[in-house]
Amino acid sequence: MSTILIVTEIQNGALREASYELAAIAQKLDGASVKSVVIGQGVDALAAEFASKGGGEVFVADDPALAHYSVEAHGTAIRAAVEASGADLVLLSNTPSGWDVAPRIAAALDAAFVSDCFDITLDGGKPVCRRRVFNGKLNATLATSADKVVATVQPGATAAFEGSTDGSVSKLDVAIDAGGLKARFVEIKQSAATGVDLTKAEVIVSGGRGVGDPEKFSEVIKPLADALGGAMGASRPVVDAGWLPHEYQVGSSGQTVQPKLYIACGISGAIQHLVGMKSSNFIIAVNKDPDAPIFEIADLGVVGDLFEVIPALTKAITAAKG
Amino acid sequence: MKIMVCLKQVPHQDARLDINGDGTWIQEDNIKFEINSYDTYALEEALLIKDAGEAEVLVVSIGPDRVTQALRTALGMGADRAIHVNDPEIQGSDSLGMAKVLAAVAKEENPDLILAGLMSEDANYAAVPPMLAELVGIPHTTAAVKVERSNGTLTCDREIEGGANEVVTLEAPCLVAVQSGLNQVRYASLKGIMAAKKKPLDVKTAADLGVADQVGAGAAKVSVTQIAPPPKGDTAELVEGSPDEIAAKLVTKIKELGLL
Repeated sequence: MSTILIVTEIQNGALREASYELAAIAQKLDGASVKSVVIGQGVDALAAEFASKGGGEVFVADDPALAHYSVEAHGTAIRAAVEASGADLVLLSNTPSGWDVAPRIAAALDAAFVSDCFDITLDGGKPVCRRRVFNGKLNATLATSADKVVATVQPGATAAFEGSTDGSVSKLDVAIDAGGLKARFVEIKQSAATGVDLTKAEVIVSGGRGVGDPEKFSEVIKPLADALGGAMGASRPVVDAGWLPHEYQVGSSGQTVQPKLYIACGISGAIQHLVGMKSSNFIIAVNKDPDAPIFEIADLGVVGDLFEVIPALTKAITAAKG
Repeated sequence: MKIMVCLKQVPHQDARLDINGDGTWIQEDNIKFEINSYDTYALEEALLIKDAGEAEVLVVSIGPDRVTQALRTALGMGADRAIHVNDPEIQGSDSLGMAKVLAAVAKEENPDLILAGLMSEDANYAAVPPMLAELVGIPHTTAAVKVERSNGTLTCDREIEGGANEVVTLEAPCLVAVQSGLNQVRYASLKGIMAAKKKPLDVKTAADLGVADQVGAGAAKVSVTQIAPPPKGDTAELVEGSPDEIAAKLVTKIKELGLL
């Protein structure tokens, strides 16, 4: 490994924390020279900042067509940066734009590709990547054997780089034919306000695929939430199946919650759910699968049948309230 | 119009995940398989377009003999034709190898739209659809939660973070990798299953598609060297007993938290 290219990402006018996490990974790989690319419109100041905070030699791709993420325009800029840097390892964050463009870059370069890594090390100079498979139930270690490797890294998996580096900024010539793009950004639609605001609930009782059917939410999950004076939530598969509306969804594509007590019923604990509730003050998980990842972040776990445990708990709470 | 839907058959979501002999994947013998759930939404989206007018729906899958079952199910749901790329030489391919096989199919079939799921439930890579789009030379988007068509343009809402959506337009031909939940997936009717038996299901090899030298473990640039359960870190303290005993212990804790 001789040169690493960090593909940064801008969100709300600043570089994402995830870009500094990529810097942390790049800076710890021995003997590699670290280069970066900052892509956007009017981003010279961000590039200068990143150059001194882990980015090293920073290329700036500045063009009106890069103001918003667009797979073709950003892909063109990233490929220009790969060429200019001579990078043999290209790092992106596994964000909605990162997962969208990274595989395309890898295919265009005929490179090795590994997505959503939580760790990257070197073995004999070749990147070795670790990532979750089977929705977090197993970890896989992957070896790469190609001249070029493209990898995306799970945001939050590594602490951000906090040191300072000697860096430089140079302009990257990127010719984007804005009129010829076949994929175009139109707008960002913010989520409409919903009637269910889980972020303010002190107690949330959430159900997952293990609840089995929509009626069981009103028969089993809702009564416990009511007994505790709390709110009912759900994981993605429940909402995808149409059992509950989207406004009940807790997780990366739903609401991020931090109640005093979170009770997860029949939720295995896919990473998308965990990021939305892991900061809860106290977590109780009920699941029949002892290997469910939810038990790794729960404070108390019950390995058992939620249809026996939850009604018993509802009854005991009602009795305790007298 | 012609729609190509990429399907992957994956271990059933409730299947036992035992590690195989050399510790590089799970033991796949004698477990149940199903169509990757993300891909069922892609298929449903194709069938909705077919229902709304003239469209031919072609389903394509790579894998061993068991994959016939997944393709028959898709035909039973309403797909018109299936291509099964069944070739032991493909085993051990990485995402790019798989994308090259699908690209070879797409170049023969020239679909106006390729639909796929965002990711597979087993490897969770989310790599093949954008790679396929690159290899075919068409625009794409991922994590689509809404797909609308008007003349030669698709308008897609793609899910980004914090509950927001990004709206993008794609010129056909194009590829859309769908997020789960964008529609309600139909079941195959008995009539559909009977009709499916007469629908064409072509079997091809990598050599048939001209990609024999680009697939398999030998061509793969990425390989799994080890698979293992995540290290047990701070696992939850387990509460045991009868349901009533468990409930009593949980009530004590909830009281300590000041919530009762």
